[in-house]
Amino acid sequence: MKNVLVVDDDENIQKMFKDILEVYKYRVIQANSGKEALKKYMEAKPDIVIMDILMPDVDGMRTTKKILKKDKNAKIIVVTAVGKSGLEKDCIKAGAKAFLMKPFKIDDLLNAIQKVSGGE
Amino acid sequence: MVKGIDRVREYLEEITEAIPSTILIVGRGLEIVYANPHYYGVAGKKPKGVIGKNIWKVLPSGTIKRMDLNKKIRDVIETGRPFEGGHAPGDRLGTFYFYKVMPLMDEYGDVTRAMILVEDVTELTRLEEELKESYAKLDEAYKELREADRIKSDFISTASHGLRTPLTVISSYLELMDKGKIRGQEKRKGMTETLILQTNHMIGLVNDMLDISRMESKKFMVEKKEIDVQEIVNEVLEKVRNLADLKQHIVLLEIPDGLPKIVGDKKRIGDVLINLLTNAIRYTPEKGKITINAIDERKGLHFTVKDTGFGIPKREQKKVFEKFFVGSSAKKELGRMGLGLSIAKGIVEAHGGRIWVESKVGKGSTFHFTVPKEKRRKK
Repeated sequence: MKNVLVVDDDENIQKMFKDILEVYKYRVIQANSGKEALKKYMEAKPDIVIMDILMPDVDGMRTTKKILKKDKNAKIIVVTAVGKSGLEKDCIKAGAKAFLMKPFKIDDLLNAIQKVSGGE
Repeated sequence: MVKGIDRVREYLEEITEAIPSTILIVGRGLEIVYANPHYYGVAGKKPKGVIGKNIWKVLPSGTIKRMDLNKKIRDVIETGRPFEGGHAPGDRLGTFYFYKVMPLMDEYGDVTRAMILVEDVTELTRLEEELKESYAKLDEAYKELREADRIKSDFISTASHGLRTPLTVISSYLELMDKGKIRGQEKRKGMTETLILQTNHMIGLVNDMLDISRMESKKFMVEKKEIDVQEIVNEVLEKVRNLADLKQHIVLLEIPDGLPKIVGDKKRIGDVLINLLTNAIRYTPEKGKITINAIDERKGLHFTVKDTGFGIPKREQKKVFEKFFVGSSAKKELGRMGLGLSIAKGIVEAHGGRIWVESKVGKGSTFHFTVPKEKRRKK
């Protein structure tokens, strides 16, 4: 069973990810801030990270870079409601392996997870 | 032939007489040797008092100084090069002149005299000023438009972000249900509740946006009916009771008996109170105290909602009523579009009242607003 760290400051979104991912047999670890995400990543070494962008303390972009600094093989998927043009490119440049826009299709999320963890 | 030259001379004279500008011809010693009829007309002088006299004796000395005329005449006569023109204010306040000094040759080709041409450009200058003002206004209007455009784009991106979040939850749960992945009555019930909650949240957001847009286009209307203060406060309190209990806040009512009725839109004034109370509940740590107070003042009723919460930093106090402004303590919670207080302000102002805040970080905030009251007959 793979571990997924879900980083999002909205508790409704957190719960939703947990509900979806558990149906598809993933174990979910939750972090509601960039700071907590870094800590939990180091503790649990999850297989996949689902990362929000707009967060109060350290935003998703910076958190992505920080995690990659600690572990260059981290598999991070950005899932955001921010519709700014060029954001996807910036996230990929920062090291994210995939990018999804909220709302997303569940199949797209599952495909992204599979594609990203495909290397193993 | 002679006749022809005479005709030209005649024309020349006529032309010189008809020119609506002042023409003076001055000799090396600054003595005036010629002045055209226009000059006599505007100066109210006769040739006797002008011809052969020094410019200092004839022209206003202020004008000579402002135009630096004596020096310019000498320069032009000495160098033979014209002074191409300058502007100077006239003696009368608000008047402006354009003037030129040109060299005149005598029959031997020597420059011995200078011609001064003075044109009244007061009207032109005024038009120029007006044009400059119009440009400034245009520039300002352009900047305002740019700002309005920026606010609109911000609005769209904030609104889109604000709606995407509940929509994500709704869409994902519906998809899970549709795929038949939700087993068990309990789970299904929980999801349905979430769906209703998120849908209501979206309805709220859409209504807020509509309110803001109506307020901006000045199409926001409120009813004006008499409302009992106790009644409206109690109704509002019912609606926020659960939220307050959840954080174990004490809510105190300080509403004296016998207050006059307020005049306004019951639902809308209720919205203002709900907004202020929910903010107070939300931004006050558990077991806080929230006080609602109403005072009868000359102009109307003065409501206050006071809390013992986080408080609002000074620099944010003015901005809290701006749309899309989300304060530093509010950023921790999501789904905040920053419209609540700007809608409250719009409602209060639509009633002819005022809304403001006093706050100290760490001590709490007090929101004040006023609404009109019924006119009571004099006893």
